Amino acid sequence: MSLRTIYEEKYKQLLIIPFGLLFVALILLGMNYSATGDFVNKGISLEGGTSFSLIQEGLTADEVESVLLYDGDMQARTLSGAGKTIGVVIEIDSVDSEIISAIEAQLRAAYNLGPNDITVETIGSSLGESFFQETMKAMLIAFAFMGIVVFLYFRTIVPSIAVILAAVSDIIITIAISNLIGIKLSTAGIAAFLMLIGYSVDSDILLTTKVLKTKVGTVNEKVYRAMKTGLMMSITTIVAVSIALIFTQSPIIKQIMLILLIGLGVDLIMTWLQNVGLLKWHLSRRKDA
Amino acid sequence: MKILKNFRVWLLIIFLFFAFISISPNGQEGVAIRGITPDSSADDAGIFSPSKNSRPLDYEVILSVNSVRVKNVNEYYAAVENLAANETISIRTDQTSYFLTVQPQVEIIQTNNTITREIEEIIQEEVNGSTINTTITSTITENETITNIIGIRDIGLSVSDAATSNIRKGLDLEGGVRVLLQPEEQVDQETMDRVKDGLEQRLNAFGLNDVVIRVSGDLSGNSFILVEIAGMQKDEVASIIGSQGKFEARINDSVVFRGGEDITYVCRSADCSGIDPYQGCQAYSEGTQCTFFFTIQLTPEAAQNHADITGKLALVPGQGGNSYLSSPLDLFLDGQLMNSLQIGASLRGRAETTIQISGAGAGISRDAAVLNALEEMKQLQAVLETGSLPVKLDVVKIDSLSPVLGREFLKNAFSTGILALVAVGGMIFIRYRTWKVAVPAVIASFCEVILLLGIASLFGTNIDLAAIAGIIIVVGTSVDHQIVIADELLGSSQKNAKLRIKDAFFIIMAAFFTTLVAMVPLWFAGAGILKGFALTTIYGVSIGVFITRPAYAAVVEILLRKE
Repeated sequence: MSLRTIYEEKYKQLLIIPFGLLFVALILLGMNYSATGDFVNKGISLEGGTSFSLIQEGLTADEVESVLLYDGDMQARTLSGAGKTIGVVIEIDSVDSEIISAIEAQLRAAYNLGPNDITVETIGSSLGESFFQETMKAMLIAFAFMGIVVFLYFRTIVPSIAVILAAVSDIIITIAISNLIGIKLSTAGIAAFLMLIGYSVDSDILLTTKVLKTKVGTVNEKVYRAMKTGLMMSITTIVAVSIALIFTQSPIIKQIMLILLIGLGVDLIMTWLQNVGLLKWHLSRRKDA
Repeated sequence: MKILKNFRVWLLIIFLFFAFISISPNGQEGVAIRGITPDSSADDAGIFSPSKNSRPLDYEVILSVNSVRVKNVNEYYAAVENLAANETISIRTDQTSYFLTVQPQVEIIQTNNTITREIEEIIQEEVNGSTINTTITSTITENETITNIIGIRDIGLSVSDAATSNIRKGLDLEGGVRVLLQPEEQVDQETMDRVKDGLEQRLNAFGLNDVVIRVSGDLSGNSFILVEIAGMQKDEVASIIGSQGKFEARINDSVVFRGGEDITYVCRSADCSGIDPYQGCQAYSEGTQCTFFFTIQLTPEAAQNHADITGKLALVPGQGGNSYLSSPLDLFLDGQLMNSLQIGASLRGRAETTIQISGAGAGISRDAAVLNALEEMKQLQAVLETGSLPVKLDVVKIDSLSPVLGREFLKNAFSTGILALVAVGGMIFIRYRTWKVAVPAVIASFCEVILLLGIASLFGTNIDLAAIAGIIIVVGTSVDHQIVIADELLGSSQKNAKLRIKDAFFIIMAAFFTTLVAMVPLWFAGAGILKGFALTTIYGVSIGVFITRPAYAAVVEILLRKE
């Protein structure tokens, strides 16, 4: 049996792939939650950590950042007053006292600092405790709204659910993969997950329109026509994202692009296996009825 | 040249024109005046503090100091570095010229020499039941004091590099002020979180949305609150967050209502807030004082309280034949009497829910007084609306902090973006084998970014990390939709071009509406990053769907038709 016939005939069996992935992702997120109390691994901007303020004229943030050896999430900024740099603030995502003294020792050794030239403080999250709950609530409402719009557009329930399911699965699986490869999520990362909603919807709507609204050809032909456009859309985006990932020097943009890249990859599976499978299943049942 | 006859293309050109005007990029060099310290040399010279809603190019820009050109903050600080006390310096701005007299910093020391001088004293005596004041002159001996000039006082200008366009950069990109606050007494974690929420609400009510507030602690167990605010000047920050904001309205020491929980609504619109039209501004020898007013709505309980207390008061005749209640309504902020308001006779014993609050601001000129009065009003409104903080905070230090994203970030992001866009153009060219689809795609996406920045600068939206994420997603979906259009136009369908574009837009509109409704809850979720992202995305996809993508479809259709 050729790959093509498998894709065309065995779409119900192929649904195991996206749903299996979703299932595994949910288990991984659950494990992460029971281990850390959070679904995601939070970086400094979300979790807080320790801040070191160095007072020394003429230091630059980049320089200090390159001198420090630290594996985790780190951020450096310049302090200024009266038009001069007066010091640098470095923030790390750890509150471990050994790591803190190690960093302090590194800084003292590198810059010959006096006893009062460095202050160490713990810092909390930049977002309130309620932020994640609010975000979750807003996302749930967003998905409900999207479902309603898709339903109003196509006037059938199953395809609308399929579009929303594809977007939800895309985000959940991408979060699980990000956790696996050890991404420490910053506020920028949250923005990246929100961006996935937009990207994921584009290809799913294209597919649903082509399959439900065009009259020429069989269902498989319609799927292939949608795929020709849809794959082109995904490939151009993946190329653009990869270029940004390679050429940007900003760790924040890097994180956004990495999450997007994962999400776009997952979206291919969700659109062309999950959404196609559900659509075809729905159409075959309608034909039988 | 049929392209130029198409109205969709013209629509795009017109919008691009307005976007360009809104952004109004210029290469102006100088330093923008961001704030003035009250009673400083700059304040005395009549330089105004800019209003908070100023667009970046609206700030007054200093061009030269003592006829020496200053191009950036470093040159400015170099120019004002070695000033002498009582020296007059000239500052030329893009609007006018000012002459500032540098105020000396003095110290008063006591010497061991003693001097004698005569003073007058009034002594009160009770004689036969009545009080008699007697004035006597006595001679006292005291240590001599000498006033020394030990330096100069800061001339009181807060400056930043002048903006080169009206694009407002957020905290991530521009940096801002970082304030370290310490609670006056040690409080538990839960109270700290309430302080944090209260501060955030107050800053938002004050019109500052781009803030980051974090709880912090040092190694000896003291807790602090760290507040970062985009592009603010230091004095303003200190006055808005340094006060606990305990507001009480009292009559004869009984509290009528408090800020926060007793107030249901604070008016900010022109019809029930602003400079008081009846009191207006009064000029004095030292300057002008203006009275502001705004109305608030009380809860029914607080209104009843007002009725109970005023019901017991007597009436006294006032000026102009009006009667007033015997005791005024005293407004206290953090224990300090701020203003006493006469209560009209008609309000006695009434459960009035609408109350007018007033106060005053002063300045050396009428304009300055109006500005200060309105500023005071805004601070008071924010305090009344959000209530007091659970504990008083002391400002430990205020620093300027560079942005998280650094100076090179924007340049790097811009060049990376261009590179990615060119690559996308290349891919489209390879796929469709014609520049007629690829070149317009790159141009259309670029136009979309310009339009988006134009709208953001028009509405004063901060461009920060969340907004940049929004821009990326807008350009991304823009390319997606251009591919949908190209595929429809180049496809094998038998339909005419108009219908094909209609088919493409059926898909595009579905994606548009779905994205749009997904953004609405994120917008209302409140927290900064969600809101910024949602807002930019909504602007962007709307511009895309209604302006750039129809123009793209029209251009490609016309270009392909010629074959």
